[in-house]
Amino acid sequence: MSQEKNYLQLIYRLILTVIAFGFLTIIWPYISSVITMLIFAFLFSTILLPLVDHLESQIKSRALSVLIVTISLISAIIIFLKSFASGMLGQAREFSSQIETKGYAENLNALAVRLELALKKHVNIPDIDSSNIVSKINDMVGDIIQNVVSLAGTIGGFIFTAIMVLIFTIILLANYHEFKKSLVQFIPNKYFEMGLRLVFNVERQVSNYLQGQLLAASSVAIMSIIGLYILNATGANLTLVVFIGIIAGLANLIPLVGPFAGMLPAILVAVMNNIGSEAALSHQLFSTVPSPFYILDIILMFLIVQQIDNNLVTPILVGESVGIHPLVVMIALLIGGTLIGPLGMLLAVPATGILKVVGREIMFLTRNAHLL
Amino acid sequence: MKNAYWANLFKNWDKTESETVTIIKKLPIFADLNNKELNEVSKLLHDRTYKPEEYVFKRHAPGEGMFIIQSGAVHIIVGEASGNSQVLAELSNGDFFGEMALLEDEVRSAAAIATDHSRLLGFFRSDLQILIERKPALGNKILQNLSKVVCTRLRKTNELLMQAQSDK
Repeated sequence: MSQEKNYLQLIYRLILTVIAFGFLTIIWPYISSVITMLIFAFLFSTILLPLVDHLESQIKSRALSVLIVTISLISAIIIFLKSFASGMLGQAREFSSQIETKGYAENLNALAVRLELALKKHVNIPDIDSSNIVSKINDMVGDIIQNVVSLAGTIGGFIFTAIMVLIFTIILLANYHEFKKSLVQFIPNKYFEMGLRLVFNVERQVSNYLQGQLLAASSVAIMSIIGLYILNATGANLTLVVFIGIIAGLANLIPLVGPFAGMLPAILVAVMNNIGSEAALSHQLFSTVPSPFYILDIILMFLIVQQIDNNLVTPILVGESVGIHPLVVMIALLIGGTLIGPLGMLLAVPATGILKVVGREIMFLTRNAHLL
Repeated sequence: MKNAYWANLFKNWDKTESETVTIIKKLPIFADLNNKELNEVSKLLHDRTYKPEEYVFKRHAPGEGMFIIQSGAVHIIVGEASGNSQVLAELSNGDFFGEMALLEDEVRSAAAIATDHSRLLGFFRSDLQILIERKPALGNKILQNLSKVVCTRLRKTNELLMQAQSDK
């Protein structure tokens, strides 16, 4: 009789799960953007929570602590964006004046011819119409401008999302502990203590990971800026140094792929600034290896920064916060990247970390189920 | 509608003591806490209800915190569930148990079972840790009180031990 009841219960639960899953699939398109906003708000509040808690312990007011942290953060972002925009504008202005005055098209053409000749020495490639390259680049610039116009449309949507994430983050920060308490009250008595333990462990893991990542990103940014200044001292003629450093730091948040993505802006700026300069074109790394436009110097500098970060800074600052095997990191990155693109790659490792903690606790729970 | 609006607007003006504060202010762990601090602690407590014969926790289960009996009754049991178990204590309104788990991440040394419909307030280690980070002065007071409770227990155990030895 009791076995029959168990089967009935199982079928009942199965039907409920299928209905719930079906319902979720139907409503998902309508709620997915809100869920994404909430996930980001949760991640931001997890990063800022220790800061708010610490400030609250000093000034004894939660609301004021949230206000101070949020205003400081928004001011920092605005200052960064404003100086980034003006820096980019200056760079673009300088670049366009370079095109007009220095015979940029001729230089580019000459470079293309030289490149073609150099390549032909080593590789057998079909004839390229080098004179056509400039017109192709012109077309490309036209495409880019068109893309920028369509980008302006999406910026509106982005600003809306950013404001919503900010509001969610403020609300979460102000009432984080109360929210958590009202969520855990739904855990049944039997699993209550275990549930609290799980929530606390996951929370700590995510928080440690995110703060560690932020520290590592800052250290990469600072080291990259110093490295770029050193390169400039040797005549690399790089501009927007601070922003390139910050972008390299941010790119570093994505494991494996990020460090290489971080090099690209530096290489781009080096090529843009040095086109037409014979000295930069014939530059040699350590006076032996040809490194046109300081490209190899930049790559070497970023590799050194990566090595210092991986072997010295991250182990000291972050430690084994998540402790996931590199192979698992790679698989997680591939899955995250395939599912939701770069965002998925950014979230892949913390998500794997959460799964690891949840899995560990569930294993502990199943081993000790007779104790509950 | 209007009443609800005003009640909500001035909800913080209502200074009447909550049921939870009335219960916890009598506990030695929350002794010397002012009303504001007691209110702060009461926000951290988890209100749980148990049916008769429902385990609050079993022996050897991982312990996460202490429970305060708001209403009902709880038995603390040592020994095996197979029969040779022994009721160590019968607890009722205002009593508390499991406070050792606030200090150490160890398994429960005894089981707790509700013998009546019971409402318990749970105060857990993770909440105490967050409280220590957010409000160090308040966290410190609670830790000091907790140490006093443990010391008193230890002194009583020593006295019982000495008495048992002298009886031999």
